[in-house]
Amino acid sequence: MKEKAQVSERFREFKAELTSRPSIVLGMGLRGFLRLLSLKNPWTIALVALIWLWTLGFYVLLSTGDYPCENLFGDDSSEDFKRCQPLVYYNDLGLGGVRLFLVTLAAISSSGLIANDMTDKSIHLYLSRPISRLDYLIARFIPVVYINQWGEAGLEFDWIKNHKWLLLDILILGSFYSASYSIIGLTFSTAINRESWAAGAFFLFVYGSAIIVEIFYLMIGDDRVLLLSIIHLLDIIGFFIFDTQPFFTAAFGFEGIDIADIEVFGVFILIIGSCGIFVNWMISQMEANK
Amino acid sequence: MDDFTVDIPEGKIGILGPNGAGKSTFVKIALGLIRTTSGSVTVLGVDLDRNTIDIRRKIGYMPEHDCIPNSMTGVEFLIEMGLVTGMSLQSATQRTHEILGHLMMGEEKYRKIEEYSGGMRQKIKLAQGLIHGPDVIFLDEPTSGLDPKARQEMLETINGLTEVSGTNVLLSTHILQDVETVCDHVIIINNGKLQMQENVKKLMQRQTDVIQVRIGGSTEDFVKQLKKSGITATSGGRGLHVPYVNDKTFEQIVDSAVKSNCQLYEMERATTTMDNIYLEVVD
Repeated sequence: MKEKAQVSERFREFKAELTSRPSIVLGMGLRGFLRLLSLKNPWTIALVALIWLWTLGFYVLLSTGDYPCENLFGDDSSEDFKRCQPLVYYNDLGLGGVRLFLVTLAAISSSGLIANDMTDKSIHLYLSRPISRLDYLIARFIPVVYINQWGEAGLEFDWIKNHKWLLLDILILGSFYSASYSIIGLTFSTAINRESWAAGAFFLFVYGSAIIVEIFYLMIGDDRVLLLSIIHLLDIIGFFIFDTQPFFTAAFGFEGIDIADIEVFGVFILIIGSCGIFVNWMISQMEANK
Repeated sequence: MDDFTVDIPEGKIGILGPNGAGKSTFVKIALGLIRTTSGSVTVLGVDLDRNTIDIRRKIGYMPEHDCIPNSMTGVEFLIEMGLVTGMSLQSATQRTHEILGHLMMGEEKYRKIEEYSGGMRQKIKLAQGLIHGPDVIFLDEPTSGLDPKARQEMLETINGLTEVSGTNVLLSTHILQDVETVCDHVIIINNGKLQMQENVKKLMQRQTDVIQVRIGGSTEDFVKQLKKSGITATSGGRGLHVPYVNDKTFEQIVDSAVKSNCQLYEMERATTTMDNIYLEVVD
């Protein structure tokens, strides 16, 4: 009895030492990242491994000297050649597979995070904790960015070794792609409460819009049409990061892109801003309602 | 909510009202999940407009609906909730096992939540609200959807856990017995307005023996006639409530009905329960 009474007294006196909000958010993010990397998510791990293997394969291919940028700029454009090189890893020229995997990775990793919280309604419990709505969104954003960065880290292997002068650009581009696809992925995760549907819709949106836009581009011939496709929009900004001439691969070869900076960044801010506002609004509705 | 001013004392407080009365809205406002369009809210002496987030360190919340992830075990879920509140892993783990011990959960705490019964899920939901040792816990319809046995168990658990942890309780419910069992103070709201605020013990003392009377004819004349006999009748429910003193009261009612030319349709001795008081207030 005495022992029981002592336990109850300790229970009664309990007052938890609580850490700061940034620590809570970072902790939530890290735990989310570790869950994505756990064996419960074999597809995530498999995709990261696939991206690394794919990159390694191209690293071996490049060492033979058979490099696609030569076809693009010719042998005498050595500076353009160097700047083009990292971009083709991410983008087209037959290397679309890497981006395909990255988009798939973003779709898989982001789709469940908010969707699952909304489906089982545990989002109400998270939002009743000492964190704001924005804190919650950041905490859910961190794991997706981390996992995508891990995937893209494979791409950085070659540049750390052979092209140090472009390392900063590579890192910025990796973060940019990770963050952008993660925000869009989380938007789908919020809008569609079912994980698999959200992943599928995100994937279709990214690639579907790219295909439609390319068809329209061939019909209309206006470069600005490309801004309506997330893939092309992010790629164009990617070229800005590397300070090189934007291009994309249409059906019959390479096409240069000529669009004003303000139009590109305006559309980008509009899309990402809309995603942020939409997610925030959806969660505020969940807060207020059952 | 409209023109709603209330000062809630410490202890176990019940917020009572019919569905759609504004109980859950009240709880969400107090939690800072919904902002008021006018007026001010102070929780534990802190102005919510100035400190919506940090005040939640001192508050626990148990939502009405099912909101626990099925894929986790009871232990994993409670530890996660502790960590999200800002507790250290060690502290959250220790507290989790203490609370689950009080809930008498043995091996089942390591089972996935999807395997839990409705009563166990409610208990886990209650436990997550108490994990960080809050000063006050908001319970939104904690017995909703439970069978009578599970409901009784849940109420006992609420009483036991909050007493042993010394936590104040704000219980929102539309079930009167829940308030009678758990609370020492009750607030009745309807249509977003405060209808009544009373100590539960005092309210129970108001439970008196009455004779429920239903008459045809002039109620006014009947009440006047009763008053001449020294009896004050009050309107209640479908008819009138006449205080029961002894069996002679029945004769006085009949006499008054005859003298005031009223037809006596119904005369039945009844006890004014909390149900009656609640219905009167809400009606």
